[in-house]
Amino acid sequence: MAAVIGTDLVTITINDVDIQVPKGELIVESVKRLGLEIPIFCYHPRMKPVGMCRMCLVEVGFKQPDGSVRKMPKPQAGCTLPASDGMVVFTDTEMVHKDRKGVLEFLLINHPLDCPICDRGGECPLQNNTVFYGPSTSRYIEIKRHLPKAFPLSKYVTLDLERCIQCGRCVRFTEEISGDSQLAFRFRGAQMQPSTFQLLDFESKFSGNVIEICPVGALTSAKYRFRARPWDLETKPSICLECSNGCNVWFDHRASKFVRINGRTNEAVNEEWTCDQGKFGHDWYNDPRRLIQPLIRAEAPELTESAGEAPQAFRPARWADAYDVIAPRFQSQGSRVGVLAGSKISNEGYFLLQKLVREQMKSNNLDHRWTNHLTPREARLEHKFGVNPRQFEIAEIESFSSILVFGGSLADDLPIVFLRVRKAWFQNGCKVVVASSQATDVDSFAHLSLIYRPGSEAALAAGLLHLLAPQTPGVARWTPEAIQEATGVPAAKLREAAEALRSPGMGIVTSHEMLNKPKGPDALEVLAGLAHQVGGRFSVFSCAGNDQGAADLGVLPDTVPGGARVESPGLDTRAILGAAAEGQLDALWLAGCNPFELWPDRDLVTRALENVPFLVVQDSLETEAMAYASVVLPMEAPAEQDGTYTNCEGRVQRLRKVIEAPGDAKEAWRTYQELSLRLHPQAPLFNPSEVLGEISAQVPGYPGPNHEGLLGEGVVVPELGSNPDFSGLESTLGRL
Amino acid sequence: MRNPHGAELFCARTPAWAGRIVLKMAELKLLLEHAHESEFATLRGYVARGGYEGLKAALGMDRQGVIDQIKASGLRGRGGAGFPTWIKWNGIPKEKNGTHYILCNADEGEPGTFKDKQLMEQTPFELIEGMTIAAVATQGDVGYIYIRGEFLDAAKAMRRAIDEAYRDGYLGQNILGSGLNFDLHLHLGAGSYECGEESALMSSLMGERGMPRLKFPHAPLPTIAGLFDRPTVINNVETYCCAPYILKNGGEWYATLGAATKNSRGTKIFSVSGHVNRPGNIEIEFGTSLMELLEMSGGMQGGRLKACVPGGSSVPIINAEACEKAIIGYEEMGDVKTMVGSGGCMFLNDHTCIVKFIWRTALFYARESCGKCTPCREGTKWMLQILTRIVDGKGQPGDDQLLLEICKQIDGRSFCGLGDAAAWPVEAAIRVFPEEFDFYIKNGRSMVETPLMATMSPR
Ligand SMILES: Cc1cc2nc3c(=O)[nH]c(=O)nc-3n(C[C@H](O)[C@H](O)[C@H](O)COP(=O)(O)O)c2cc1C
Ligand code: SF4
Ligand code: SF4
Ligand code: FES
Repeated sequence: MAAVIGTDLVTITINDVDIQVPKGELIVESVKRLGLEIPIFCYHPRMKPVGMCRMCLVEVGFKQPDGSVRKMPKPQAGCTLPASDGMVVFTDTEMVHKDRKGVLEFLLINHPLDCPICDRGGECPLQNNTVFYGPSTSRYIEIKRHLPKAFPLSKYVTLDLERCIQCGRCVRFTEEISGDSQLAFRFRGAQMQPSTFQLLDFESKFSGNVIEICPVGALTSAKYRFRARPWDLETKPSICLECSNGCNVWFDHRASKFVRINGRTNEAVNEEWTCDQGKFGHDWYNDPRRLIQPLIRAEAPELTESAGEAPQAFRPARWADAYDVIAPRFQSQGSRVGVLAGSKISNEGYFLLQKLVREQMKSNNLDHRWTNHLTPREARLEHKFGVNPRQFEIAEIESFSSILVFGGSLADDLPIVFLRVRKAWFQNGCKVVVASSQATDVDSFAHLSLIYRPGSEAALAAGLLHLLAPQTPGVARWTPEAIQEATGVPAAKLREAAEALRSPGMGIVTSHEMLNKPKGPDALEVLAGLAHQVGGRFSVFSCAGNDQGAADLGVLPDTVPGGARVESPGLDTRAILGAAAEGQLDALWLAGCNPFELWPDRDLVTRALENVPFLVVQDSLETEAMAYASVVLPMEAPAEQDGTYTNCEGRVQRLRKVIEAPGDAKEAWRTYQELSLRLHPQAPLFNPSEVLGEISAQVPGYPGPNHEGLLGEGVVVPELGSNPDFSGLESTLGRL
Repeated sequence: MRNPHGAELFCARTPAWAGRIVLKMAELKLLLEHAHESEFATLRGYVARGGYEGLKAALGMDRQGVIDQIKASGLRGRGGAGFPTWIKWNGIPKEKNGTHYILCNADEGEPGTFKDKQLMEQTPFELIEGMTIAAVATQGDVGYIYIRGEFLDAAKAMRRAIDEAYRDGYLGQNILGSGLNFDLHLHLGAGSYECGEESALMSSLMGERGMPRLKFPHAPLPTIAGLFDRPTVINNVETYCCAPYILKNGGEWYATLGAATKNSRGTKIFSVSGHVNRPGNIEIEFGTSLMELLEMSGGMQGGRLKACVPGGSSVPIINAEACEKAIIGYEEMGDVKTMVGSGGCMFLNDHTCIVKFIWRTALFYARESCGKCTPCREGTKWMLQILTRIVDGKGQPGDDQLLLEICKQIDGRSFCGLGDAAAWPVEAAIRVFPEEFDFYIKNGRSMVETPLMATMSPR
């Protein structure tokens, strides 16, 4: 990354073996081609090499015309040295081994060697390099450095300053990757230490990553500190569902208890990073409030309520009993029942849920959306304009020459997409323009920030359209001056933004967060039109867990799996809550969702749950909604079951069961399947793979259970809309 | 000053010189010729004494012509490394597509060196003219003088001189009507030796932490991507000050100075300090012997010559015997296993305890290590800890050998020259004065047992 890696190849010699490598490739990478390793500490392939630790010293020479080799007098850092033609590298000479010993001896003289109690012990690069390359004894008899052993950098990260080897990885991460520049070195020489500025809190949305890239146990997780030795942990691949990015993670557990999350490499998604929501947000797996068995309210709630008494306690029940109570309340009840879903159910679960609702309940009162705008099918971009709402994958963001980030706060809504946008800027010099009604983290690297008045998002989008595609019918009146009036964004700034974006490789990154804004849907239409007109690409990413899967698999009142129209659409989220509040529903099912958290109108939610006679709460954790429940069904968490999940870019990824679910908790898909069978005997689907098979038969683009992609980076469901027709945009522009 | 202990004053012409043919030279003042005249620090006084003739000559040549003059002069960097100046200037892209920077390294942090301070205080226009000539040769637009933070007088003198030069059209737009534009700024450091290292200086100037950056072949040369990633010339104060004289009198003339040496041309200012009678900056021609330099400084004070650190604290120490053979020249000093360095020449008399002297030197480098790389960060501190122990009388057998090993582990392994600079003096002291270390370690006290030693002792 330091030097520009070209496409031309050069021939270099590594330990007497000639090999062709791209010109400018770092030697530390080149040697890997021969299966060799140069030990490192400070080097990290995703960050600029700095050559600080000197662990990677190798001997280097150059081939002379007469065939002899002229060695450079000093050893060279392999992590910073770009390959050039005729370079001769020695990684295995006496001098190299001596130098490695020397560096390790230096690093160890002030190291506390508290490996027996160190979190990192067992997975520590310093231990590993010392065993492989280090001296077996120390000649150091002076007093070691003593420093704070548990300095709290933030509520998540605790710094043990004695263990730090000053490699600068953490500092560089906050400068180069997360961009919050929270860490820096202070003092110099042997006193040098990583620190936040003025010892303020380490405020970052990505701070957990520094714990993983620290090559020693200096940066530790406040939550994981002293809780386990790595070799006592079992590690399995998992997918994080705390947001819609679908980060690949390692799920470390012990005796079926969750212990910690580490980033797992998927170049297409999260590279190797995680956000703090994901890294530190899995504690609920061990929450004592986990639901572990079905509960049935002892008395019918109606009775107790009329008597003015407190609701009766729940009675633990067997699943069969719970189904018995539930089945008659929902069977073929049509529009008298409703189902609302959350975002952490697997695709298999969603698919069987909508099947259960449509086929057995004979209802379309089904929704998974919790945004302010619940756009009906005809108004959605793919149906209204025939345009694909997700035109690029996360990794493709890097290839844009300019990016418009529109609405919301990207680092909060889509943390990993944020990192890619930042990378596009940091590594490739992509120009980023951000438009939001508030200051966001993107501002720190944005070419321009357009802060519009809340509610004027659609006008701002129209203003950009006016400048970049003036030929669009209906856009004429949205002159920069009119936009300044409407949005508060100065006309000159808007012009400047348009100039910055004017390039064939433009990308527009926006999210479902727009659906919470007053004119968000209109803005999305205009932005999609803008991308279409200028030959750029546009994606509106979902924001929550497996929302994309729920949408694709028809957990919607008006759309079936695969996107076809429902004959007579049912009620959407708002309408279901409203109907329940008005006493128009006989039964409501909350599938892994807590409306008190998800729906802004608490009052409506309270009235809905109070007034619906029969409420099923199916969840993993106790929630507020349980207070109103007639039946509570314990649900398995994602890592406790097999399943696939679709992330914001439409990538289907498989999660294999990692740990056992507590108690009697059941997978969502199995719950729906079992209930279906009770209501209507049919050939059962025995496992998630069979359900996925069914999905792939019905939903274009969804992979079958044996699709190879599910073993690797996942399978991106291809585009929906393919015949864009933006003639309807004129009326949108007219009504803004 | 009288020698309080009545020890005989050491004279350069000792019997050891008998029979040797030595080129006798006196002080040769080129840069410092008018330094004592306060007028010289004013533009009028400078011009009246032939100032700006060099720039005028340069403006009459094409760019390459200027570089050719510097090449012919054989000028080498006076900041310590002795790198041929013309190669740097010639390395700046001839096709200009943006700002070119001219940087002056006036950080002068090397203990024992204080020549740049005097040059800036007394001959500021030499520096300004020299940098302007560099701007002519390399199409420089903006210059910075990075002055050591403690040099307030120098900074004030430079400020006055720069203001004057702007006022009279010697800086700024269209200099002397030639069409040349060159702006010159001052920047004061904040007290770090490492910021004199050229790449760390650039980082510091850019507002980053004063740590060195990757060097060629790991990164482009500063002449391609230096300050703010733009082509940059960086030279020492003294180096720039030579340029006006070279351009005025011709490179070939300049090359006649020091012609007796292998490859060192011109004059060099030595900051003589230590136990001499007349410490101060002395400008000599290359080829002068070290003993003559001592003689010019009034000879030893308080005792016999015991050792000399001729080029600033980082260069290897030599003993009296080597001093007598030493001829000042980049290669010639190598013959006695030391270096010209930055010219901070410290003569030490026989009341000096070398162990304590080196302890003090090691303390400096341990404090000044920037902390970026392992060998220097950890090694300098370790060496200091060992030396402290020895000086405190708690030396262990083998400490000297361990020190040598640590030096080897630092030298050539560190990220920048500071690591080397910290290792060389220790390594040389043990190599040249092994018996002193031996004695100190064995007996827990210094081998030098004069009362004067006690009063001079830093610890
Ligand atoms: C640790 C360290 C400190 C240095 N300090 C100075 C200094 O204070 N002044 C200086 O002119 N050069 C200093 N140098 C040398 C510079 O890096 C560089 O070689 C010099 O500025 C080049 O100018 P020249 O070619 O004119 O000598 C230092 C080098 C190192 C490694
Ligand atoms: S805390 Fe860890 S990552 Fe940061 S500098 Fe120290 S060793 Fe490196
Ligand atoms: S040698 Fe290393 S630690 Fe020392 S000053 Fe240079 S970069 Fe900093
Ligand atoms: S890995 Fe190369 S210097 Fe640290």
